[in-house]
Amino acid sequence: MGGGHAAAHGTTRGHTVQEVFGAVSLGSLYLIFALGMSVVWGSVGILNFAHGAIFMFSAFLCSQLLQAFAAPFLLVALVGIIFGAVMSVLVQVLVFQQIVARSTSERSADIRILIGGIGAGIIPLAIAQHVTKNQPFGLQESSFRTTIWEVFGLRMSNVQVATIVVAVVVATASGLWLARSRGGLALRAIGVDPEVASMMGVDRSRLAIGTMAFAGGLAGLAGVLLTFQLGALTPHSGDALLVKAFACVILGGVGSTLGVVVGCFTLAAAETVVLTQTSGQWVEAVAFGLIFAILVIRPVGLFGRQEVRRV
Amino acid sequence: MNAFYDGHVVIIQATFVGILLALSIQVPLRLGVFSFAGAGFYGIGAYVGGNVVIRADLQAVPAIACGAVAAAAVGLVLGLVLQRLNGLYLAMATVAFDLMIGVVAVNGGEWTGGPTGLYGILTDLTLPIILVVVGVFLVAAELSERGRAHRRIEAVREDPELAASMGIRVGAYRVVGFVVSGLAGGAAGAMNVMTRTTIGPADVGFGLVILALTMIIVGGALSWKGAVAGAILFTWLPQVLTFVGEWQELVYGCVVLLAGIFLPRGLYGLWVDTRRRLAARRRPPALSEQAHQDVPQEMTS
Repeated sequence: MGGGHAAAHGTTRGHTVQEVFGAVSLGSLYLIFALGMSVVWGSVGILNFAHGAIFMFSAFLCSQLLQAFAAPFLLVALVGIIFGAVMSVLVQVLVFQQIVARSTSERSADIRILIGGIGAGIIPLAIAQHVTKNQPFGLQESSFRTTIWEVFGLRMSNVQVATIVVAVVVATASGLWLARSRGGLALRAIGVDPEVASMMGVDRSRLAIGTMAFAGGLAGLAGVLLTFQLGALTPHSGDALLVKAFACVILGGVGSTLGVVVGCFTLAAAETVVLTQTSGQWVEAVAFGLIFAILVIRPVGLFGRQEVRRV
Repeated sequence: MNAFYDGHVVIIQATFVGILLALSIQVPLRLGVFSFAGAGFYGIGAYVGGNVVIRADLQAVPAIACGAVAAAAVGLVLGLVLQRLNGLYLAMATVAFDLMIGVVAVNGGEWTGGPTGLYGILTDLTLPIILVVVGVFLVAAELSERGRAHRRIEAVREDPELAASMGIRVGAYRVVGFVVSGLAGGAAGAMNVMTRTTIGPADVGFGLVILALTMIIVGGALSWKGAVAGAILFTWLPQVLTFVGEWQELVYGCVVLLAGIFLPRGLYGLWVDTRRRLAARRRPPALSEQAHQDVPQEMTS
C-alpha cells in the first residue's frame, strides 16, 4: 500500500512532490476507512473488529458481481457502499446488540464485543479465502479504466484523485454534522454519558445502527477504491488496514473528527518516509510502533478528551 | 494404544503445545488484563529456541528454558510499559506487539531466516519432556485457583480498586501475569519449533491469536480446565471432522461468535453451572452439611 511506488522521473524536487501526493492519497484512503470506525467508537463505544473484514468482503462481493456484467465505476462504488453498510448493520444487530443485552457490566461487554467482532470477521475472511483459493482478487471486469494524468510533471491517477475528493467531502460533512446538527449532538452525548443521554430521549440503539451503517458504507467504499487503485486485494488486506486505522484513531484521539484526519495523514506520511528511506518491509511496522508509542506516551491522543471512557 | 500413539504423535504433541499457548493468553485474562501478547511470546520462544538449537547446539530442555526466559523477559518489559493501559487499549497494544513480532520475523535476516524461516531444528525432544513442562504449568495454575491466591486473583480481576484497598498490589499482580504469560508462551513456541523442526513468519501471525482465543473462549477463560478443554477440542476437531476440511476457519469463526454471545464463560462455565443446577435440584432446600461445604467450590466458577 505504498504511496511512493509511482516513482517520478526528473528532478529530486519533482520526486518529493510526487511522494507527498502519494502520501496524501494514501492518507485519504485511511481516512475513508477509519472515519466511521472512529465515530462508532467515540459515540456508541463499540470497537468493531470486523471492520477490516467488511472492507475486504465488500470489495470481494463487488469483484464477484462483476463476473456477471461489466459495471461502471459509480455503480461498483455504490454497490460496495451498500454491501458494507448491510454487513455492518448485520454485525451490530446480530452480534453486538445481543452481547450488550447479555452483559452485566460495561467492562465485560467491551471485551465480549471485541471477541464477537473477531469471530464475525473470521467468517467473511474464510469465505473469501475459500472462493479465491487465497489468491488476490480485482475489479478488472469493470468498464472503468484507471488513467494517469500528468499535471506539471505530477503523475496522478483518476482513482487517487477520486479518493482524495471523497475523503475531503466525507470528513468535512461528518465533522460539520457532528458539531452542528441535533443528531450529531445526540451522538456526542452518548459518547460522554450514555445513561444521561438516554434519559434525555436519545435512542441509543437506533443511533448505533445508523453509525454502524455509515461506518460500514465507508469501509465498503474504501475497499472498492483501494482495489481500483492497487489492481487487487487479498483476503487478508483487511487485517492490516484495521490495525493501521486503529493507530490513526488513537493518534488523533477517539471521537475527534479532526483527530482522525490528522492521525491518518500522519501515519501515511510516516509510512511514506519509511518506505522511501529504508529497504525491506519495515513499513508495516510503522503503524504498530505508532500504536505503542501513543498508548505509552499519551493514551488520550492528540485531540482526545480525558472524559472519554477508557476502561 | 501404541499403534494409536505412533500414528498420532504429531497431533498429541501439538495438543500439549496448544494447551500451553492457551494458558499463556489465559493467565493475564484471569487477572482482568486483556492481553493478547501470548501469541507474540510464542513467536519469541520459537525463534529463540530455534536459534539456540541451530547455533549453540543446545538440547531440548535448555532450549525450552532459553525460549521461555527470553519471552518472560520481554513480558516483564511489556508489562511495565503497558501498566497504564486497560481494556480495549491494552488489547490493541498487545495485538500490535504480536504483529510487530511478525514483521521482525520477516526482516530479521539470518537470525530469523526472513520470509522462509528457519529449518532443520532437531533435538532430543520427547513426549515425556513436553508432559513435564506442561504439567509444571498446569500444577502452578491449579495452585493459583485454590485458597488465598485464588481469592486475590479474583479480586484483582473483578474489582481492582477494592483489591488495592485491601492491600493487594494490583500492579505487581498484573506484571507477574505478563511474565507468566511470557514463560508459558515462550515454552510453547520453543516446543512447537522443535516438534515441527521449522518455523516461519506465517506461524507467528495473527492467526495464532485467533486460534488461542478460540480455545479459551470456547473452553472457558477462568480456569486452566477450560484452556485444556479448548486446546484438546480445537486440536482434534479438524481430525475428527475431516469433512470440514478447508471450511475449518469458517467453523472456527462461527464457534467463536456463538460462544462469545451465548457462552461468555465457555464450556467449563457451562459445565459448572449445570452441575450446580443439578445439585440444587437434587438437594432439598434444608441446608445440609454438604451444602455448606459446596459453597466455596461453587464460587470457583
